[in-house]
Amino acid sequence: MEEFHPHNDEMTFNAEEAHSIVKECIEGILGKVDYNHNKVNQWTATIVEQSLTHLVKLGKTYKYIVTCAVMQKSGAGLHTASSCFWDTTTDGTCTVRWENRTMNCIVNVFAIAVVL
Amino acid sequence: MDEFQSGEETSFVVDEVSNIIKEAIESAIGGNAYQHSKVNQWTTAVVEQTLSQLTKLGKPFKYIVTCVIMQKNGAGLHTASSCFWDNTSDGNCTVRWENKTMYCIVSAFGLAI
Repeated sequence: MEEFHPHNDEMTFNAEEAHSIVKECIEGILGKVDYNHNKVNQWTATIVEQSLTHLVKLGKTYKYIVTCAVMQKSGAGLHTASSCFWDTTTDGTCTVRWENRTMNCIVNVFAIAVVL
Repeated sequence: MDEFQSGEETSFVVDEVSNIIKEAIESAIGGNAYQHSKVNQWTTAVVEQTLSQLTKLGKPFKYIVTCVIMQKNGAGLHTASSCFWDNTSDGNCTVRWENKTMYCIVSAFGLAI
C-alpha cells in the first residue's frame, strides 16, 4: 500500500514571498507621496486590502490577518510588539518596515494554517 | 443520545477579551509616563500578559496579540487591519488607552481551530 504524503510546501508560511508582496503594495500606494492627514485613512485601508487580496491569490489554505500603521515623522517614539499562540510548524508572520521623508509605515502579516 | 452543546465555549467573546486587555494594560503601564528606556519592556509585558490570560480561557483558539505604544507629541498615527478568516467563528477586539504622555493600542485576534 502506498501512502500519499502531502507536499510540505503547501503548509508552511513563505515569509519572503509575503514580504515582497507587501512591499510592492506599500510602494505602489505611498511611494511618491508625503504624509497627508486627509488621505492617510484611505492609504492604510488600501494597503491592507491589496496585500490581503494578493496573499489570498496565492491559493494556500491559510487564514490571514494584515495590519498596517502609518505614522507621521515628528520625533515621537513608536513601539510595537506582538505575541502569538499558534502552531509554530505551520503558522507564521512577516513584518515590513518602510519609510520616506515624512512618514513611517509598518505592515504585519499573520498567517494561520487551516486544518481541514 | 444527548449532545452537550456549549455555545459559549467556542466563540470569540469580545467583552471578555476586552477586559483581559484592559487589565493587562493597566497593570503594565498604568501609572507611568512615557519613558524611552522602558517602552520595549512595557509592550512585551502587555502582549505576554494578554496572551497568557487568553490561553487560560481554555478555548480552542489560536491567538495573535499586537500592541502599539506611541509618545504623545502631536504626530498623526493611523492603523488599519484586514482579515481573511471564518466570520462565524473568528473575531477580534481592539482597545485604545491613553494617559497624559502616551497612547496604547492593543489588538487581539482569535481564530478558531
